Amino acid sequence: MNASVRTIVIIVVLVLAGALALDAFFIVDERKRAILLRFGDVKSDEEGEKPGFHLKFPISDQVKYFDARVLTMDTPPQRYYTSEKKPLIVDSFVKWRVQNPKLYYTATSGEEETANRRLQDRVNEGLRNQIGRREMYEVISGERDELMQELTNELDQAMSERFGITVIDVRVKRIDLPDEVSAAVYDRMNSEREIEAKQYRASGREQALIIEADAERQKIVIEAEAYRDAEQIRGDGDASAAKTYADAYGADREFYEFYRSINAYVTVFEDGQSLLVLDPSSEFWKYLKSDSGN
Amino acid sequence: MAWNDNDGRNKDPWSNQGGEQGPPDLDDAFRKLHGQLRGMFGRGGGGGSGSSSSGGKGKGFRLSPKLLLLVVVILVAVWGVFGFYQLDAQERGVVFRLGKVQEELKKPGLNWNPPIIDVVERVNTTRVNSSSHSSQMLTEDENIVKVDLVVQYQVTDAIKNVVHIRNPITSLEHATESALRHVVGSSKMDTVITEGREILGDSVQERLQSYVDRYQTGITVNKVNIDSVGPPEEVQEAFDDVQKAKEDQVRLINEANALAEQLIPEARGEAQKTIEGANAYRDQVIAQAEGEADRFTKLLEEYQNAPEVTKDRLYITALESVMKSTGKVLIDVEAGNNLLLLPLDQLQIGSAGAGGGQNLSTASNDSASNLLRRGQ
Repeated sequence: MNASVRTIVIIVVLVLAGALALDAFFIVDERKRAILLRFGDVKSDEEGEKPGFHLKFPISDQVKYFDARVLTMDTPPQRYYTSEKKPLIVDSFVKWRVQNPKLYYTATSGEEETANRRLQDRVNEGLRNQIGRREMYEVISGERDELMQELTNELDQAMSERFGITVIDVRVKRIDLPDEVSAAVYDRMNSEREIEAKQYRASGREQALIIEADAERQKIVIEAEAYRDAEQIRGDGDASAAKTYADAYGADREFYEFYRSINAYVTVFEDGQSLLVLDPSSEFWKYLKSDSGN
Repeated sequence: MAWNDNDGRNKDPWSNQGGEQGPPDLDDAFRKLHGQLRGMFGRGGGGGSGSSSSGGKGKGFRLSPKLLLLVVVILVAVWGVFGFYQLDAQERGVVFRLGKVQEELKKPGLNWNPPIIDVVERVNTTRVNSSSHSSQMLTEDENIVKVDLVVQYQVTDAIKNVVHIRNPITSLEHATESALRHVVGSSKMDTVITEGREILGDSVQERLQSYVDRYQTGITVNKVNIDSVGPPEEVQEAFDDVQKAKEDQVRLINEANALAEQLIPEARGEAQKTIEGANAYRDQVIAQAEGEADRFTKLLEEYQNAPEVTKDRLYITALESVMKSTGKVLIDVEAGNNLLLLPLDQLQIGSAGAGGGQNLSTASNDSASNLLRRGQ
């Protein structure tokens, strides 16, 4: 009996020793952060426990683990108003990680949900402020980087001080217009395209007219120049002919007159339609009356 | 949690102390052990009641080391076998030894790592993955465009990919969307739609890479392909009409050019025709003048040789020609005294026909040639 009691004692001692041995160490994964609590009091420094194998006191010491990786907090889309009171639907996300596990544990009890909620509140507020200070085009375009950087810094400062969280990045996934505004934008886009199309067509007609007019002008100029040249050529011909005539006819003016006159008579009466009323006493008829011509 | 994972491991440090609490069904083992011990002690107790407990123990342990050794060997063998695993050609293994990540990656093939002490995460580092996005977004000038893109990426840093970020793929998707919207949001719609595709892809890639680097995803973005950029369906028609208008513009200009191409050569042809006509006229009048002048000059020479005769002959020949073809009424004014009745109808016809002989030079030419032929 004595022996069996001893056996039981030994077994119990062994089991207890095993259990205590199991509870005398912990392993921290590289992907995690851990803090050591002794009777509920945080014993770790701000860095938390480093990855690897650690010893601890059994029972009294408890270990809390947190994800040490970069985490994502995806906010639901929210409606914000720009400085000119235009509504925008903004969908953002926050990249964050636990930097100070001690503070993180005390501020959130190590619950990611809680941290996400805090972050979301801050992001919404930050976005509201940042967007409310800017005009729409600034939010959409060039200043997005600046806006996000400011927001990240702001958020990082607040969260690291109070929650032990580093905010790595705040980004906007979507910036969209609400549906009713989108419809207006489509209308505007349509009308702008209409104008553009009209401009192209008008410009086409304009250029076509210019080209046609230019062609017409060239045609007229070409024809006029040709007329000018032709007249000059004709003039040259006339002048040359006149000179030739003058040179020839000038040799004997009287004979020329005679020659030209009789030629003219022939021509004038050539058609045979004329009726001549003549005096037989003229030179031509002088032999008609007598052979002596008197 | 941690000691559940690790409870098997303590067999090595403590197994020499005879602790056999390792196997899953502890109760069973304890019961067995208990039975053995009782048997041992019972026998020991029966053998020598005066002997010390240690003596009895020693006698009992003479049997138990074999059993213990067997159990330990089996456990170690099982433990060792579970340490074997195989990695695909595409995969690398990231080893966490007692939670600490090891710099060296496990290569493809058969590998062995001590189970429980090491945890191995497999990462595919060679496959090029792609993820596609399609969304509508605002441009800088507050227009809306629709962009489809495909991101091709690869995990190039397995350790970062495993250690530093949770959900690297979701992170990449978020980052893609953000980068794309940022780039499109900083560009004008026309730029995005027309020449922007290449540039858009490049700048999205650059930006995306900077985001995923910042999140330490260990991902390298190989390529961002912009599949299509266009106006949303709501305004597609209007955009198409602009394209049509551009075509119309070109068409109108082409038509005008075609007309010009036709008009100008025709005009040049006409001009040449006019000039050639003038050249012909010039050559004609010069030739005529020369001919007529020569003829006159030659006749003049003959006239000068015998002026009276020639002149008379010419005169009479000409009058003959005239008289022959015309109606004649001879009235001897001096001898006659009576009233004369002229045939008026003939006179009228004659005056009407007189208008016909207009081309003086040719007409005179013809008649003059008649004249001369007759004269010779």
